[in-house]
Amino acid sequence: MSTTAQPAAIRPSAAGLAERAAAGDRHALARLLSAIDDDAPGARDAAAGLAERAGRAWVVGITGVPGSGKSTLVDALLGAWLAEGRTIAVVAIDPSSPISGGAVLGDRIRMSANAADPRVFIRSFSARGELGGLSRAARAAVDCFDACGFERVIVETVGTGQSETSIVALADTRVVVCPPGLGDDVQAIKAGTLEIADVLVVSKGDLPLAAQTARELRDMLMLRPRPKGEWRPQAVVVSALDGSGVHDLLAALDAHREAMGVGRRRASPAIARQRTPEAASTVLDAEGWRGRIAALAARDGLCATLGIVVRAGGPGRAEVAMTVDARHLNFNGGCHGGAIFALADSAFGLASNSHGPVAAGIDAHITFQAAVRAGDTLVARATEVHRNRRIGVYRIDVVREEESAGETAISSFTGTVYVKD
Amino acid sequence: MNDDSPERDFRPRVLVTKIGLDGHDRGSRIVAAACRDAGMEVIYTPPWQSIPAVVKLALEEDVDVVGISSLATDHLIVPKLMSALREAGLGDVRVIVGGIVPDQEEKALIESGVREVFHPGSTMEQITTRIRAYAGEARRARGEAERQT
Amino acid sequence: MNKPVDNRLLAEDESAHARWQREFRAGVAEAREIANVSGIPIAPLYTAADRPAGGDDALGYPGQPDYTRGIYATMHRGRTWTQRQLVGLGTPADYNERLLGILARGATAVSLIPCNSVYRGLDADSVDLELLGTCGTVVDNADHMARCLEGVDLAEVSCAMNDPSPFTLLAFMLIAAERRGIDWSRISGTSNQSDYLSHYVANHMFYRLALPGARRVLMDHIAWCRAHVPRWNPMSVVGQHMQQAGATPAEAMAFTLSSAVQNAEDCIARGMDPDQFLPRFTFFFDVSLSFFEEIAKFRAGRRIWARLARERLGARDEKSWRFKFHAQTSGVDLTRQQPLNNVARVTAQAMAGIFGGLQSLHTDAYDEVYATPSEAGARIAIATQNILREEAHLTDVIDPLGGSYYVEALTDAMEEKILAIMKTVDDAGGMYKAVEAGLVQRMIGASAMRFQQRVESGEQVVVGVNKYRADDDAERPPVERPDRERMQRHRDDFVRAQAERSPTAVAKALDELSRAAESDDRNVFAAVVDGARAGLSNEEICTRLRRDFGDGRPLVIV
Repeated sequence: MSTTAQPAAIRPSAAGLAERAAAGDRHALARLLSAIDDDAPGARDAAAGLAERAGRAWVVGITGVPGSGKSTLVDALLGAWLAEGRTIAVVAIDPSSPISGGAVLGDRIRMSANAADPRVFIRSFSARGELGGLSRAARAAVDCFDACGFERVIVETVGTGQSETSIVALADTRVVVCPPGLGDDVQAIKAGTLEIADVLVVSKGDLPLAAQTARELRDMLMLRPRPKGEWRPQAVVVSALDGSGVHDLLAALDAHREAMGVGRRRASPAIARQRTPEAASTVLDAEGWRGRIAALAARDGLCATLGIVVRAGGPGRAEVAMTVDARHLNFNGGCHGGAIFALADSAFGLASNSHGPVAAGIDAHITFQAAVRAGDTLVARATEVHRNRRIGVYRIDVVREEESAGETAISSFTGTVYVKD
Repeated sequence: MNDDSPERDFRPRVLVTKIGLDGHDRGSRIVAAACRDAGMEVIYTPPWQSIPAVVKLALEEDVDVVGISSLATDHLIVPKLMSALREAGLGDVRVIVGGIVPDQEEKALIESGVREVFHPGSTMEQITTRIRAYAGEARRARGEAERQT
Repeated sequence: MNKPVDNRLLAEDESAHARWQREFRAGVAEAREIANVSGIPIAPLYTAADRPAGGDDALGYPGQPDYTRGIYATMHRGRTWTQRQLVGLGTPADYNERLLGILARGATAVSLIPCNSVYRGLDADSVDLELLGTCGTVVDNADHMARCLEGVDLAEVSCAMNDPSPFTLLAFMLIAAERRGIDWSRISGTSNQSDYLSHYVANHMFYRLALPGARRVLMDHIAWCRAHVPRWNPMSVVGQHMQQAGATPAEAMAFTLSSAVQNAEDCIARGMDPDQFLPRFTFFFDVSLSFFEEIAKFRAGRRIWARLARERLGARDEKSWRFKFHAQTSGVDLTRQQPLNNVARVTAQAMAGIFGGLQSLHTDAYDEVYATPSEAGARIAIATQNILREEAHLTDVIDPLGGSYYVEALTDAMEEKILAIMKTVDDAGGMYKAVEAGLVQRMIGASAMRFQQRVESGEQVVVGVNKYRADDDAERPPVERPDRERMQRHRDDFVRAQAERSPTAVAKALDELSRAAESDDRNVFAAVVDGARAGLSNEEICTRLRRDFGDGRPLVIV
């Protein structure tokens, strides 16, 4: 971290910048993004104010290991969308040095002619060492771009394991780029990547291994059980060299966008509440509730990492499930208590946030009653014991599904939330 | 409105680029790496950037300092860059030039608004220290300008 | 026999070597480990013990494989190296004037450096006036080239055109010769720096075409030249760019040889017989101030190439095994501070190249570091070569350092290092793949960074810069820039001439380029030559081929 003497940041009039940015002043927008990045006084409020106007943009997150061809893909998307007459913002994220805190914000995207188009705005962020590789500022940037009228926002991150799942919370449509020929390594990226990808792109499609890699990925996707009605990820082969596959990619993206309806990002209660205050109290049926709770969970990085899926939900209620595998085990070969806690806590969080206002956990307690092993399917059900304007108390039961169609009690969890706003 | 914010972590944002016709970038890469290691955020571009592209980039990335690497004669068009930056409202951005600049042409650069020319033999320590100082200048100048709007 | 060195008396059976060791250690203030730029440790003394058994026999003779002592039996004693000074400035008329002056003063061949605008595939009217002609000559079409070479007998004088893909400068030159009635079979010279891989690595110039396109056009170029300009060297594999970008001498040689292998394998894949094209492969290297290291680098390179050509590429003709190279004194060694010191630097560099057995040499002018050379600087540069030849008599003995304990030991060590680096490239799938993946660029970047650190720490002294500084570096004469008005007129003339051409002829020639590019059976360079004849400009040719083959994209690696 840099600790040399530095000038005190001059307080920009963040609110003024936000106004001008919303009116189309690009320079003001850039200055606002810096203010947010520096966490200047007033910046968070200004950003939150702008975020109220967000919700129209389609946010596409693109991740993948270094060298997978992400920036070439971004360039192809820019070209295609510019041809449609869209305005596009690109949020490009690079890791920062853990030693100095500095970063070289690689500029591969800017090489193309598309980058120079006045309808394109490109802003780079360093990850600033944050877990998940995505800075708070980058998230706020997406909302700002949205509010300022950019119809498309591309978020490009360097996928190095953890940060792949970080785009979960941010994007409506999530694209993962794989270079061809990974072979056995395809198995390795499976765990985190396939959980979150809506569209899988095999890049460098001109290489002979590309088609085979796509086949391997599609096979793995087929094996994955998915509830009916849920989006089935597509694998597309793209070659920047001859331009093939871009059309297929666009079709896959559009298909996802249509299938998701409003889009998971925009379906989040937080944004919905800001746009239309009545949305929070809309009457929903069981499927509607499940979808709403699922939309919340879709923004959750840990759920994606651990493979926690939503089964059902309601006002103050949530049911989630998780099948125990290698990533959940402790050094004794049993299921890690933290994984069970995470499952219960997920149900807790979803149930307590289902009403709309943000609820933050302030106390939680768990008991472990039975051993859990790999292969077990655990279900956590949260019910609301008490709720007033500021406090909510929840009880979550965790059970293991038995083959004989019974359930074994695994854990009891109680938690308390503090309701914000 | 007074500056009442406490001293905080300040990461200069620096653009390191080359304009004009020449492609030799050994030096600019080393400077970019040195700035990163000094805790700065560096936007680094390949050579042969057009002046409009540099201006657009400086605006969108809200850089504090633009570092132009010039080993041949591309410094001759830096005054054009200075005008373009001012026209775009980026007059507070500090511009420095590093590389080969003949003595009689250095003066013209400074007069066009370039803050400093770094000749071969400058150490990375010297360069990064000065860049940090210029970044501070740029932020103060911008703050002033914004207070007046 | 090594004995403990604690007694001051000469023991009866203390060997001469042991005595020297004892006295050396006593006399040296501190034992310091020294390594050369390539990282090879250097001992204070080399003796016969450092030679392998039978080493001298294995050394061979000049002109005989594996050519450690020189590729020809006669070397400089028979025919001195070519004094091929780079010239490039201003308008074609400016170039011609400077060129004729240099030829009169002892240069024996032509080398034309075009303006960076030409490298980038831009004509005079596409570029800021201030930049035109500041680093090279503005040559945009065959007429310009004809003017550049007025008064030069193209049938007698070897010409090097510094020109990456698609080699428009050669095309312009051929048309200029044709107009003068000179048969192409009499023309000799080199497509200098035709190696697209080194351009890509070092961003030395704007490699105009995307990698696959550049590869294709080079192959076409080699095939076409073999058929139509048989005395021309279409392949110039370049190590100079990489060493200037920071590669160590061993790395530069290794990457260059790897490039040569890649290009040769591409030719073979195209159906050419190695003995048909290898005799026309030449190499272009840096020669730096690391004096003995450079000599060893070249000797090792010769040896390795002979083996590669024979064993890996399957060439049977000895002409294919000979490592012919042009050397340029290293520009990054020169300083802006106290520039007259550069004369001494260039002299040492030139000597290393000569002892290294080069075939052709360019010596930098002392002011080359901050401008295109002045008249005075250019004169001293050529005089340096004349002095080394005529006054220091460096041509009298072939490979005078052969058999030196140090030079032979170092040659062996460099050979080993070079082969190790070449293996890294091979493991990555060959030079093309290694460049595409950025592996080579990363290695060079790391070496560049290490060198910078050595200079900044003072470990590597640079006289006048980090030591022996003086405040009087106002020895720098003012820089000459091309006359703006003359350049403006040249530009206006060009624009006018462009407009006077028949649009249909231009369109037809451009279409021919595209047709050749699309078809694997046609030769793109043939279409470039036809285009030059039809009056196409450099920008027109490059733009069309960039459209067809795709733009070259630099890899950004910090």
